[in-house]
Amino acid sequence: MVEKYAVLPCNGLDKCAGVISREIALRLCGEAGHEIICPVFSRIAEVKYRKIISEHPLFVIDGCPTRCASKLAVEKNFKISNKITVTEEAKKSGIELNDTLQLREKEQALIGIILNDLMNTGNKVTQTIEETGVSCHFDYETFQKGKFLFRVPVNKEIFFNENDCWAYVSGNRARIGVTDFVQQNLSDILFFTPPEMGAEIDQFGEAGEIESSKSVFELITPVSGKVIAVNEALIQKPELINENPYELGWIADLELTAFENDKELLIGFDKYFEIMKRKVNDLNG
Amino acid sequence: MAEFKVGVISCSGEECLGGTISRLATRKVLDELKMVEPVTLCLPLYLAGGKEERNFARVYPVITVDGCHKCCAKRSTEKYSGKVSGSVDVSEIIGEENALDRKTVRNKDLTAEHTRMIDRVAGEIVKMIGNISPDAYSGKTFHGCGCNGE
Repeated sequence: MVEKYAVLPCNGLDKCAGVISREIALRLCGEAGHEIICPVFSRIAEVKYRKIISEHPLFVIDGCPTRCASKLAVEKNFKISNKITVTEEAKKSGIELNDTLQLREKEQALIGIILNDLMNTGNKVTQTIEETGVSCHFDYETFQKGKFLFRVPVNKEIFFNENDCWAYVSGNRARIGVTDFVQQNLSDILFFTPPEMGAEIDQFGEAGEIESSKSVFELITPVSGKVIAVNEALIQKPELINENPYELGWIADLELTAFENDKELLIGFDKYFEIMKRKVNDLNG
Repeated sequence: MAEFKVGVISCSGEECLGGTISRLATRKVLDELKMVEPVTLCLPLYLAGGKEERNFARVYPVITVDGCHKCCAKRSTEKYSGKVSGSVDVSEIIGEENALDRKTVRNKDLTAEHTRMIDRVAGEIVKMIGNISPDAYSGKTFHGCGCNGE
């Protein structure tokens, strides 16, 4: 973990996960010297916390997928460097949280796991983008339905799956992302969870997720590979995916591990364009 | 069965002991009070735009519990849902010096003195709830969507 974080917990009072977020924050501050940010007071008197947040990376602890702490941070334009959601951590650890607000044995165990992960291995810390050499150039074909414009890149380097995700292949690397169909359907994208740096993901495996007020979309990677870069800009500005999901809104770069095999299950522009038009028409009548 | 519902919004503060006491006293009321059906409203969710929380506070009487004189819970509730039915300022009960003590306390580290503070604040919340006239409840049916039955 970095030397010192500003820690913003959700501090929720109506779910066990919120109580856990508070406990983690208190222990991080009490045992490791990080600075706590009160989610309530920061909203009313943000000036008080500006200095702390400008001097230290912000670590957000959300209790549940409602992600109130993240929303409050985004609302105040606080730059989030790292975040976790307690319910997701519980799921990963196979721990079912109780329905009360009491921290029992299982909840204490989860707190221990999360703190250990954060303080010892540092593997939750967001990785910075590295220059990976995936250079993309896009030319688009467009399809309009009502007021909505859908762009699809025509370049021969780009491949799609039927899950509306793309991969731009360059040498033994590929950049991946979602298509205009996804961002138009999700509408305003509010959150981006990147895939883990260094993770090896099989074709059609999950490679991060994006969330709008409507729903959560899991990016299904068209190609297998090791994550060598993530688009960190999306953590602060997930709306870049709405602006252009192919260029500024890319998701991650992968080092390819089985592209020749993967290719058999991918489609090119011609086929995807027809599939997307059909989906748009089906949705909009 | 409870005759009516009352929302209790605690400041959830982490700046000082007053916030911790307000939070724990609210929980105590939630766990132990049987005369009405108390409902805790999550203040961070309320601030983040939780429609159900805000609509609940518009329709049902609400008591806010603040850790200090800054009154974050009361100010926020009145901003989004109108006047509250009662407010508790923990610093007036346990003393400002105690309330503004910057040493946050984990549940497992609570002392007998802290427990007494929690009991006194919980008692004040219960008193506030007891002061609410059933007329304060407008008779509208609560709809999470905020339509107020219209």
